[in-house]
Amino acid sequence: MFDFDATLPLMAVQFLILMALLNAVFFKPLSKALDERDNYIRQNYKDAEDRLAKTQELASQYERELAQTRKAAQEIVIAAQNEAQERSNQKIAEAQREAQQAREKAAAEIEQQKQEAMQSLEGQVSALSRQMLEKLLGADWVNS
Amino acid sequence: MLDVLDTFSALPIASLEVGHHLYWHIGNLKVHGQVFITSWIVIAILLTASVLATRNIQRVPTGAQNLMEYALEFLRDLAKSQLGEKEYRPWLPFIGTLFLFIFVSNWSGALVPWKLIHIPEGELAAPTNDINTTVALALLTSIAYFYAGFKKKGLGYFAKYIEPTPILLPIAILEDFTKPLSLSFRLFGNILADELVVAVLVLLVPLFVPIPVMMLGLFTSAIQALVFATLAAAYIHEALEGHGEEEH
Repeated sequence: MFDFDATLPLMAVQFLILMALLNAVFFKPLSKALDERDNYIRQNYKDAEDRLAKTQELASQYERELAQTRKAAQEIVIAAQNEAQERSNQKIAEAQREAQQAREKAAAEIEQQKQEAMQSLEGQVSALSRQMLEKLLGADWVNS
Repeated sequence: MLDVLDTFSALPIASLEVGHHLYWHIGNLKVHGQVFITSWIVIAILLTASVLATRNIQRVPTGAQNLMEYALEFLRDLAKSQLGEKEYRPWLPFIGTLFLFIFVSNWSGALVPWKLIHIPEGELAAPTNDINTTVALALLTSIAYFYAGFKKKGLGYFAKYIEPTPILLPIAILEDFTKPLSLSFRLFGNILADELVVAVLVLLVPLFVPIPVMMLGLFTSAIQALVFATLAAAYIHEALEGHGEEEH
């Protein structure tokens, strides 16, 4: 069982040759392939991460812009509403004023006509009262 | 024990052979041929899988590339957990190859019916059930951690032998011998024992009964590969760090 002979050194040499051969056809190329793949994956991963960060930044920027735009739109709407309100108030006030004027005018006309009517009535008072007297006392009595 | 096994091997059903080797003679050196044959098959499997995986590298992996990337990530995690993020890269090929070679060897021993292929002497088995292979791997580990220590700290590496106190010097020196010894014998013993247990059970009950033990063998094989690679990484880390972490 334990007989040592030239098998030992030859085996050692053979093993070293195997090591050199395997290094050339197995360890080196495949290690290189693994490293390259690692690099490739890491690179891709990094690119993807960069892109994701960029996307998120863009999204947040868009959101900010959107919020700003919304605020601006709201401001415009409020301004327009205020303006409309103001204008309608103005119109209402104008209309009320016009109505007031028209009413005052009408009232003044009525007053005037009343005065006129009164005046004309007053002018007729003596004639009427004379007629009434004539009817009551007779024309002769009155005229005399 | 071995005598008992020998009496069993006289039976025609199956046989156990321990200590028989197919010797090849290179000059005046003797080598165990069966170990090399199986180790070449293991090496061929590893190289084929690697070439299939890296022949056409895609960004999105499929098939063989996916499998080998899974293996590579496992080995990276193993090395990283022992050596740390900064130091692990130059040692990844060594630790990774240790794991892959031992793992595929062990599993080939458990899964491939080597014993059906007849060779003139001895029998084919996992390369790791030969003590020469495990000692070779363990000694390489020792060399690796010495190299790591010297490269990092130069001669200052020897300071770790007398830190925190010179009283521990003999133990520190002893550790350098026990590390490869325990590494090699742990692996060798586990794999050989597993194959022997399976072989004995197959001798006794040829059908179904050995299956749970075979499953256990697969589990042990994987664990042993993991243990060897992890310990090698831990020793290298210890040499790089320097302050005395005791034997794991």
